[in-house]
Amino acid sequence: MAAVEIRSLTKWYGRSRGIEDISFAIESGEIFGYLGPNGAGKTTTIRCILGLLRPSDGEVRVLGQRVKAGRGTMHARIGYLPGEFRIWGRPRAERSLSVLAALGGDCGAAARRRALAERLELDLRRPVGDLSKGNRQKVAVILAFQHQPDVLILDEPTAGLDPLMRDVVLKLIQETAAAGAAVLLSSHDLDEVSAICGRAAILREGRLVELAPISQIVQQGEQRLKVWFADPTLRPDAAVARLPGVRVVEQEPGVLHLAYQGPAAPVLRWLSQFAVDRVTTPQTSLQEAFLQYYQEPSGSTCGIGDSRGLRA
Amino acid sequence: MIRSRRPPFPTTLLWFWFLRILPAWLGMAAVIFLMQIAVAAIVHDNANVKMFLTILKHLPSIVRTAIGGDLVESGSLTALLTVGYQHPLVMFLYMLYAVGVPVGLLPGETQRGTMELILSRPITRTQVYVCAAILSLAGMFGLISMMFLGTFASVHIYTFSEPIDLSLFLRLSACAALLAGAFGSFALVCAASFERLYSAAGVAAGFLTLNYFIAIVAEWWPPLHFLRKATLFYLVYYSNLWYAWPLENMAWLGAILVALAILGGIIWRCRDLPS
Repeated sequence: MAAVEIRSLTKWYGRSRGIEDISFAIESGEIFGYLGPNGAGKTTTIRCILGLLRPSDGEVRVLGQRVKAGRGTMHARIGYLPGEFRIWGRPRAERSLSVLAALGGDCGAAARRRALAERLELDLRRPVGDLSKGNRQKVAVILAFQHQPDVLILDEPTAGLDPLMRDVVLKLIQETAAAGAAVLLSSHDLDEVSAICGRAAILREGRLVELAPISQIVQQGEQRLKVWFADPTLRPDAAVARLPGVRVVEQEPGVLHLAYQGPAAPVLRWLSQFAVDRVTTPQTSLQEAFLQYYQEPSGSTCGIGDSRGLRA
Repeated sequence: MIRSRRPPFPTTLLWFWFLRILPAWLGMAAVIFLMQIAVAAIVHDNANVKMFLTILKHLPSIVRTAIGGDLVESGSLTALLTVGYQHPLVMFLYMLYAVGVPVGLLPGETQRGTMELILSRPITRTQVYVCAAILSLAGMFGLISMMFLGTFASVHIYTFSEPIDLSLFLRLSACAALLAGAFGSFALVCAASFERLYSAAGVAAGFLTLNYFIAIVAEWWPPLHFLRKATLFYLVYYSNLWYAWPLENMAWLGAILVALAILGGIIWRCRDLPS
């Protein structure tokens, strides 16, 4: 049984589309990346999983239980970190966190809360309103982890944290997953996603355009080839050769950095006419692979930073 | 398969919200209580009564209507004591509480982003609404009780030249509690319907203010007498509470209160939160 199972999930906001026909499952112990630009529908999906939004179609199951909007039945076992974390400013962080923990009747959260605060170097006696952005984010992290959830839904968990704290939080996520929790990680930090996620789904304009292991997503992207010519002044014109699916990433005298899609043979055949000193194949990053899903035929990116009236 | 279980009632949330609104409630209760003492302090003295009635005569007729109309001008001490129940400041405080609490708790928390955190915990939307409704309605009833207690205390503090019928004030308070509760329930409907705090507060306050002014103007200007029945105040102002318990009118007010509170709950449950 998958810890989180989403089948044909669709959500419309009146005439605007939020998400359409989304299906995926997250197993216990898995860290699942959920990627997409602003407005792609990540937060809509998350809110449907939590029963905050009523889906227009499809269903969500958490730990085998069908999620019904507004019921909150499995929420004692879900840890949630919202993308835009806001909490009461006047009470001390400890008080606000204990109120939210007690809503599940979980009285054992206090010790874990203190341990987490110590690990994140956070003073829980201060009012949240007095904390810096980074420290408020630590409060959000504690909120999600304090009741030892079986399902973690994290929307930008490391936003605003310094690199040291970012590593602490990523380690915390990995430890929780190793202990058997299913983690849905929505993030714009693709290095972070590729570092800890096994699989990822990519959203574009409310639809899933990719659902695969990270390694496969990276491989499906463009391949890179960097060539050093024997003649350091040589500048061969790849564009003139009209090689299909090939673009020039960077070019200097004697050096050519190419990206290509499909088989390497046409590129290698074209290069064989020059005296080549050496060749390397730089790794495609998840970010480069990710950007290709938003590439218009003209080469410009669509949907990134362009919400088009859709909900994030 | 894990069986679904209804989450326990969120007393933690109820207590947390109660402590947040307590200082404001205490301030309003103190003003309403002291207002009754102040009115009694003026009314218990014959010289003051005469001066008060003289001042009343010089006030515009619509203002006289707003603080009790012909009833006050009769000079009866019991009637004069009811000025403390109809004073615009007291009315304003009731309106502030009736609108402020449900709107502050439901759209207020939604707009602040904290409703998302609350609803991410094992708690149903209905339970959240019930917590807000309990605090809104119980708080209103509490304020009305403080008003009656103010009259009760002042009758024991001051000596009046004629007997004061406390049972009348009890009936008046009970009717006022139901009336205030009905307005509180309307504010709950607004709070459940609107995502934005100012939209909910604006509609709820607008409805209350409109009711209040229609009630006064319809009483003050004879051509508009037909509008008396158009407001909820009609069920209190034109009841027989001076002589007996107006059970029928109280039943109407109670029914309106319950129906509006349930309607608000249904709207709140069916909405997307946050949308």
